[in-house]
Order: sequence, then structure tokens, then C-alpha cells
Amino acid sequence: MSGGFNEIHQEPTTFISKYVFSFDHKVIAKQFLWYGILFLGIGGIMALLIRWTLAYPGQPFPVLGPLLFPDSAGVVPPDTYAMLFTMHGTIMIFYAITPILIGAFGNYCIPLMIGARDMAFPTLNMLSFWLALVSGLLVIVSLFTPLGAAAGGWTSYPTLSTMIGSPGSGQTLWCLAIFVLGASSTMGAVNYITTVITLRAPGMGYFDMPLTIWGLWLTAILNAIFIPVLGAGVILLTLDRVAGTTFFLAGAAATSGSGDPVLFQHVFWIFGHPEVYILILPAWGIVSDLLSFFARKPAFGAKATALAMTAVTVLSTLVYGHHMFTTQMSPLLTQSFMTLTMTISIPSAIFFANWLGTIWKGSIRFHSPMLFSLGVVFVFGLGGLTGLYLGTVTTDLYLHDTYFVVGHFHYTMAASVLLGGFAGTYFWFPKMFGKMMNECMAKIHFWGTMIPLNGIFFGMMMVGYGGMHRRIYNPFIYESLRRLIPINEMITISAILMGAFQIVFVINFIYSLCKGEKASQNPWEVGTLEWTIPSPPVHHNYDVIPTVKCGPHEFGNPKLTNGRDFQYQTEDLVV
Amino acid sequence: MNEARKTQHTLAMTIALISWAMLFATLFMGYAIYRSSANVWPPMGFARISLVLPTISTILILISSWFCYQMKLDINRGQVAPAQKNLNLTLALGFAFLVTQTLLWRNMNHSGVYVSSGIFASIMHAFTWIHAAHVLAALVFLVYLYFQFKRHAGNADALWMKTENGEKFWHFLGIIWILMYFILFVF
Repeated sequence: MSGGFNEIHQEPTTFISKYVFSFDHKVIAKQFLWYGILFLGIGGIMALLIRWTLAYPGQPFPVLGPLLFPDSAGVVPPDTYAMLFTMHGTIMIFYAITPILIGAFGNYCIPLMIGARDMAFPTLNMLSFWLALVSGLLVIVSLFTPLGAAAGGWTSYPTLSTMIGSPGSGQTLWCLAIFVLGASSTMGAVNYITTVITLRAPGMGYFDMPLTIWGLWLTAILNAIFIPVLGAGVILLTLDRVAGTTFFLAGAAATSGSGDPVLFQHVFWIFGHPEVYILILPAWGIVSDLLSFFARKPAFGAKATALAMTAVTVLSTLVYGHHMFTTQMSPLLTQSFMTLTMTISIPSAIFFANWLGTIWKGSIRFHSPMLFSLGVVFVFGLGGLTGLYLGTVTTDLYLHDTYFVVGHFHYTMAASVLLGGFAGTYFWFPKMFGKMMNECMAKIHFWGTMIPLNGIFFGMMMVGYGGMHRRIYNPFIYESLRRLIPINEMITISAILMGAFQIVFVINFIYSLCKGEKASQNPWEVGTLEWTIPSPPVHHNYDVIPTVKCGPHEFGNPKLTNGRDFQYQTEDLVV
Repeated sequence: MNEARKTQHTLAMTIALISWAMLFATLFMGYAIYRSSANVWPPMGFARISLVLPTISTILILISSWFCYQMKLDINRGQVAPAQKNLNLTLALGFAFLVTQTLLWRNMNHSGVYVSSGIFASIMHAFTWIHAAHVLAALVFLVYLYFQFKRHAGNADALWMKTENGEKFWHFLGIIWILMYFILFVF
């Protein structure tokens, strides 16, 4: 079905049509990038407020504290603390990672890497961004409502998220924001899936697609299927809050008849577990490509990697119950979910081994995208292995709701995805903006992120294993946990350091945009389609739709005679 | 219209309908759990909802689906004028469906099945609201299509994509209603 309808749209001429209400996938990608980076900053500051409170309970947050919390002399109040961890999780997952990894890289890479002129539905694409913006505004507005923002955790379990647990309009706005963002993501997913199926360049079979596209495509499939599940859940939760229904109210909370609070947990995790893979599949795809590009070797077992990612996608839909082992589900169910969860290890191990196989004996170029990709290999390895303890019933019963869980999912969902996002940003920045990022600052940024990042998340797993529960304002009122204060201080200092090093990234980004060295057409010397056109690409990407003749990872062929160690996908394979 | 473009639209609409189906499937899953965990259904103190209005709604939406299908066949044959008539009938029946739904909600309230009267009433009201909201959105689209038909009176090809997608969505809502009719009201 490749080589479909690929018309050339007229180039916009006004500022509004070119940069604001743009149909161009490249501009929409950049809009999502700015949007995601803005929310990454907001979510990051919230993380620092949380960490400060845990390391130095009762002490005012420096500089910003007196401005934000004048009534408590700069100390984060307990109710605000609950709002902070709720909104930190919500913002980072839905408003930072999703727009950067899926919105920005999905929009930018899919048409360029499959040889298309734009998405299949440019108007739908634009609408998807503007709906995301409306959702972002709803979330921001919810922070300033009289009783404050949502405070029931990013999972918004009832009864915490009902009018009894969270009175006021903050939680209602949270529900609406998530619903609108879900509509935006579903629009994007429909567009991505259709584009990949119908607009691949002639000659590009599915296994000729770069693994980045595989990751984004599988993510879009999961989005299309599972976002509506959360959509249904938040509609019913909203009706419970505003219309008087009792879907998730029970006991004394339900004035007449009884609903089922645990049902929301089922609905949430039917969506929520695939969501983990929705976030990480694009990063896996990007890393799978970049490891090959910078090791100057073909991706080891590329087909197996694509199939393993597909297997993970399928299995991710069957394992959600491991988030709910402590809800008194029957032992038969817990064992079934545990077994299914363990089976995810098999395809995960396959592509992880393929990553190692790819870099084994490679001529590695340690440019910044490669450093961040290797960082993903390390942190995902740790995150994946620690997930085994949470997928196993016996150990999960001990570790559930402790900081071990927080450390684990930050390693997988935050660290892996963040580093993958940085790898992608450093790699495609030259194509996006026609400038090179400063490599020295990029490397300082990498080490300044990588070392404290492990201090934070490994530290979290240590205090979690030591018995420290999550979501407690001051865990140290319990004497047994006071011995964990020094580790908490180490985590917080690491977080401050990591936050500080992100300033290097911001400076590098702005400096490179303004004064960066001009990028050539193919600065990294790789063969995928986007590197066959100028940096940045022209409005319609390709004057002539390319014909694909080989795979995306053709490196190190000793029979190459043209002075290059790689082949473009548009060239006949040298044999 | 270009065949490749037709394929894109058909594929995209199919994916979108799968997404919508998941939303309603989640609602039905919730219903199955509530119902299977209840000792009696409807719960003590509630009578079954009368089938009269839901049955009329079902008949209306079934007939409207037939006219909607005829509209698409007319467009496929390049005949815009008869398609316009079938669109008008679809619209009229669609609005009639919403009227019967409004009467259904009023009747439920009159018989004490208020939205806040517990899980049975919550389901009966909320599920039909959610479906009706989709029907309303579809009707807004069909009204837009009405004006498109006026604008492109002699050019069926220009109307193909919108008609095809509108028809698919309308049938989808019909199928969801029939499932609701049997699951919520009959059994």
C-alpha cells in the first residue's frame, strides 16, 4: 500500500500560516517540541519542590519558596505537596514526554524518514496540536483554582479523585484536560498509522523502515486503541464529580446505591500499562537506529528488534493487573498477570541483546547522540531488571507503593525516555534547524545529567527498599525512616545538580539556534532518507519522491568504493 | 477522487472507529462488572425501564441508517439530487432519535430513576448521554454535509469522502445503540 497520495501543498506566505496555524509537519513538530520543553521545565521545578520537602522537611524552599508559599514562609504546605506530586506526574507524562517523543519526533521523522511530503492528513495534524494546547491551558488553569489543582496522584484513583477526596474544580479540570489531550493524541495516532501504511516511498517495505518509525508506529497503534479506554474512565469520573452519578463511589460516599472505586483502577491500568510502552517505544526505536548509526555497523538483528518491539506491544495489553496485586484480586489472577508480565522479558531481552550486538566491535563515534543512546541502554537495563521485582507477586506485596516503585518507573519512563529524547534532539537538530549543536556543551550536559540521574533514581530504589512509602508529606515522623534522611538528601542534591545541568542544554539550544555552525546535508554520515535532502528540508520535503533500494542501516560494507562507509537508502545495495 | 486518497480516508476512518469502539467497549465492560456483581438487577427499589421509547429510538436509528446507506449509494452512482433527499431523511430521523432520547430521560426522572439514584440510574443516564452526545456531533456533521451537497450539487466526486466517512460514523452509532438497547434495556 506504499507510494500513496503525496500532493505538494502550496507554501505558506504569511507569518500566521507559516508558524502559527501551520499544516507543515515540520513546523507542527517544532510546536510540539516548544510545548514539551516548556512543560518539562514546569514539571522539573515541581520535582525540585517535592525533593526539597523530602530532604529538608519544614524548611523553606530557597528563592522561589517565599514567593510561591508566602503563608507558610516558603515551606511547601502538606496539601500543596499532594498537588505537586500529582501535577508533576501528570505534566511529565502527558505534557512533556508525550509531546516531545510522540508529537515532535513523530511529526518530524515519520514523513521525512519514509519519503513522504507530509502527513496523510495535514489539517488533522494541525488540529491535534491546537487541541493539545487547549488541554495544556486547562492544566495550567487548574493550578490556580481556589481549592488548588488535582491532588489524588497522577493515577487519580477514586475516592481520592471524587468530590469527597478532591473538592473544587482542580480535579474536574484535570479530567477535562486529560480527555481533550486524549482526543488530540487519538487524532495524531490515526494520522501516524495511516501515513506509515500509505505514504511509504516506493520500494520501502515494512522492514526497510528505520526502527525509529517502527517505534513511533507501534506507539500510535497503542494510542489509538487504549487512549479511549482512559477517555471512558475520565468521562465517568467527571460525571461522578459534576452530575451526581455514582460509578466510582462506594460505602458512605455513595448516597444511594454503590459504585466501585476499584473499577477505575482497572480502567486506568488497562490504558496505563500500554501507556508505559506508548512513551518508551519511540525512545527504543530512536536508540536502536542511533546505536547502529554511531557504531558504524548494521543494526544487529534489525528484523528481530522490530518483531520484538511488536511482541512487547501486544503483550503490554495483557499485563495491567500487576499494578493491582494489592487490591485483593484472586491468586489465580495475580499468578496469571505475573506470568504474562514475565513473558515481556523475552522480547525485551531480545532487542536489548540486539543493542549490545550492534555496538559489539563497532567503530563507535562518541558523539552526543551516541552518548545519550548508550545512556538509555544503561538506564533501561536497570529499570527493566528492577521491574521484575514489581511484576512478581511475592516481592511486589512488600515493595508496592514504596519509593522502589518510584525509582523503577523513573528509570524506565523518565530516565530512558528523557535520555532518548535528548539523543533524538541532538541527532535531528541539524536537520530541523540547519545548525549544529555545540558538541562540548552537549557532552557536559550528558555527564551532568547521567551521573545525578542515577543518584536520584537509584537512591529512590534504596530508600524504597528501606521501607519509605511514596506520597507521604513527611515520612520522617516515623522513627524507623529517619535513618533514610541522608540518602534523601543525596537524592535531592542530585536532583538540584541534574536540574542545574539542564540549563546547559537550554543555553546550547538557544546558542546553536542563533550562532551554531551551519549543518551540512548529512553531518552524521547516515543513509536514511531525511539525510538525502538539504538541512533544513524545503517545504515539500522531496522534489521527487525517492525510491528505496536498501535498508536503513547499511554500514561498513567492505565492497563500498566511493570513500564512504555507508549507503543511502536510495542506492542499490553494493554486493 | 484519487484512489490512493480514497484508501487513506477509508483506512483512517476505520482506525478512528476502532478507537471509538474501545471507548464504548470500556463502558460495556464496566456495565458487565456492575451487573454481574449485583445481587438483583435492576437493584431493589427500581423497576425495569419501559421498552417503548428505547424501541422507538431503535426503529428510528435503523431506518435512518438505511437512508444514510442509500445516500452513499447515490453518491457512488454520481447522483447528488437523490442523495440530498436521503440525507434530509437521515437528518430528520436523527433529530427524531434525539427527541425520543430526551423523552426517555424525562420518563426515567418521572419514574424516580434520577441520575444520582445509584449505579443503575447512573448507567442508564450516563451511557445514553454519552451515546447521544456522539449522535449530536454526527448530526452537526450531517448538517455540514447538507450545505456541502448544496455547494457541490453537480459534483458527486467532491462529496465522496465526506459522505463515506459520515455514513460509516452514522452506522457505527446505530450499531452502538442497538447493543445498548439489548444490553441495557432488553436483558
